[in-house]
Amino acid sequence: MSDFQVKSDAVDVDAIMRQIRARIREKRGTDYTEAEVQELAKVKLEQFLDPKGVRSDLVAQFRRTRTISPAPPNYDFEDDTIYKTRRGPLRTIRRLLNPILKLFLNPNPIAAALHVQARVNEEFHQRFRQREDMDPLYYELVHNLALEVTRLGIEVHNMKMRVESVSSRIDFDERRGRALETVVQYKQARPQQQQQRPQSQSQRQQDLLAQDQRPQEARQQTPSMNAPTAPAAVAGAPVVAMPVTIPAGDSIGEAAAMPTPVSAAAPAADRGDRHDGEGERRRRRRRRRRRPGQNMGDQQFSSGGGANAGDDAGDYSSTDTGADSGNDEK
Amino acid sequence: MKIAIVVQRYGSEINGGAELHARYVAERLSRHATVEVLTTCAKDYLTWKNEWPSGEETVNGIRVRRFPVSCPRNTDDFGRRSALVFDRQHSLADELAWLDSEGPKSPALIRHIDQVRDKFDFFLFFSARYYHAWHGARAVRGKAILVPTAERDPAMGLHMFGPMFRDVRALMYNSFEERDLIHGVSGNQAVPGVVVGVGSAIPERTQPWRFRKKFNVKRPFAIYIGRIDDNKGCPALFEHFINYAANYPRGLDLILLGKAVIPVPSHPRLRAVGFVSEEDKFDGLAAADLLVMPSQFESLSMVALEAWALGKPVLVNGACDVLRGQTLRANGGLCYESFDEFAEAMYCLEASGPIGAILGRQGREFFKRHYAWPVIEKKYLDMFDRLKRDSSVRPVEPWPGWWARRRRTLPPARQIVDSVPAGPVLR
Repeated sequence: MSDFQVKSDAVDVDAIMRQIRARIREKRGTDYTEAEVQELAKVKLEQFLDPKGVRSDLVAQFRRTRTISPAPPNYDFEDDTIYKTRRGPLRTIRRLLNPILKLFLNPNPIAAALHVQARVNEEFHQRFRQREDMDPLYYELVHNLALEVTRLGIEVHNMKMRVESVSSRIDFDERRGRALETVVQYKQARPQQQQQRPQSQSQRQQDLLAQDQRPQEARQQTPSMNAPTAPAAVAGAPVVAMPVTIPAGDSIGEAAAMPTPVSAAAPAADRGDRHDGEGERRRRRRRRRRRPGQNMGDQQFSSGGGANAGDDAGDYSSTDTGADSGNDEK
Repeated sequence: MKIAIVVQRYGSEINGGAELHARYVAERLSRHATVEVLTTCAKDYLTWKNEWPSGEETVNGIRVRRFPVSCPRNTDDFGRRSALVFDRQHSLADELAWLDSEGPKSPALIRHIDQVRDKFDFFLFFSARYYHAWHGARAVRGKAILVPTAERDPAMGLHMFGPMFRDVRALMYNSFEERDLIHGVSGNQAVPGVVVGVGSAIPERTQPWRFRKKFNVKRPFAIYIGRIDDNKGCPALFEHFINYAANYPRGLDLILLGKAVIPVPSHPRLRAVGFVSEEDKFDGLAAADLLVMPSQFESLSMVALEAWALGKPVLVNGACDVLRGQTLRANGGLCYESFDEFAEAMYCLEASGPIGAILGRQGREFFKRHYAWPVIEKKYLDMFDRLKRDSSVRPVEPWPGWWARRRRTLPPARQIVDSVPAGPVLR
């Protein structure tokens, strides 16, 4: 967490709270209030309930195999149920004898209780049926939630891996940056170079024009060559001081990896001074420094460009520490 | 001058907000007037069971008269009646039944107030929402001064409280937010009122090392003081803190002081030490980096004032208007409304952080300016003088008849409270 800007002895809480919210916004992108979060949660839930949302065969299977339980047996019990009979006269006699029955026991509470029980049974059956109807929905909801959680888990895992990858790249870049900073040193501009610059600039423009046509020429010369290799040669072209012809027998990769931009500009004597072993070491170093996915041509392009830029500015050059091999030959 | 203080519970071992407030005020005012406390025999605010003997006793030099509660609270009945009056259309009779059900119902206390009305110059009623305040204020209309200790809860939207707020002689508010709420629900702007609050018994000297040694505390910590309860926002605090502890391994620990009503989660950096003495409480506060107040319903946080008195910043729940307003006015802490804000604020308020000490210092200045006892006492005495000088008595609002009281035409209380503008008062 970064520190707050406390400019004086008196602190305004409102200002601090604003700073805190701004920082949270920066971190999270949006500062949701609790109500907004709740709203978002609701929306998400609606999506789960939406039949067009996440689906699975399990739900359909569950629905297919689901059987509706039969209604349990019940009875209707009214006030006159205990006197009911198919024979009409008997019913009348029972009713007439009811006062005598009541001398021995009171059937009314029993009838009332059984009546209530019948209603309770009915009510419970209805509730049970409602519950059964809701079951698939709950099942679906839980199932879809599980799916979503799994998906999020995978996403989180992927994100973690990406974060690790990005952080390792950043570390690598930082180390590389630091190494480069240590080898760059300030150098006075040479008047002679400044005088030569207009000439070299105009020459370079001509080269660029020539280079635009070169891939076509190259294609015409070697029709069997693969097209993707041509841009590599083009990439190296801005630093080429003289047209480069690619021998038919050479592989394109080699041609792209070993352009002769700087060698054309650099005096041959310089290179001749060095021992062969040292050149070999330099080449090995270059190969080691290559990053995955980057071919020698790309590396040369970047290093050659740097050398050329240094040439243009006339202010900077690199010492021969192996950090930038393109500059060795200048 | 003779003053009666009427409160639902009273005793040196009671630490509830309004009751402690009443005790502090009684003890302080006893230096300037004859003070007598009229209360019930109840000790537990949930059941209102008679636990103290009725009659007279002396507590810290103050004469206390206790009256029995006629029936303890039936929580089921109270819950049912609360649902009716808070969320449905209801009648005035329903509200009165709710008040009886809430308790502590003590007709003997009200009878006594009626009998001794001429012996006292003023009756100070604490906690507007209880039986004793509503019936007592009606019994001694011309002498009743109300200390509402009202929070933004639906009870304040009950229709029956409107006449009470308008008929009392004066109101001693705890905060500007409370005053605005009561003005909003009852329209009693004409009634004299002053925002007073309450001071606290701050010790001359604290010993933080003693607390650390006694409870074996080695790491820096934030402190929570109060009942560990749902109503106080503790579950949300636990959730936030556990999250914070996972994200910031070198951050603060959390120590909880107070009776645990709900279970405290087991976590190596979260510790509940239970109910402690006042000495331990202040030592703990002095040892802490900051005080956390997660409650959403507060009329005035005394413990926040105590933290400021000791120069400690507070971290309060921004959803509580009163706490938020108090913190912003004092410039003595930060507010949070989400976990991110909680974590950032915890970081900022650490003793080694950039602003914790400054906010604590500002809080202390705020406390001295507004909540030092001489300031509080003066506000009370000024109000008594003002009321003595102004002897005009406002006409009493007519009470609805038998049929009118039973007509279910009153809107839900929650709706009334929700219609009153919310938010902290910054002035």
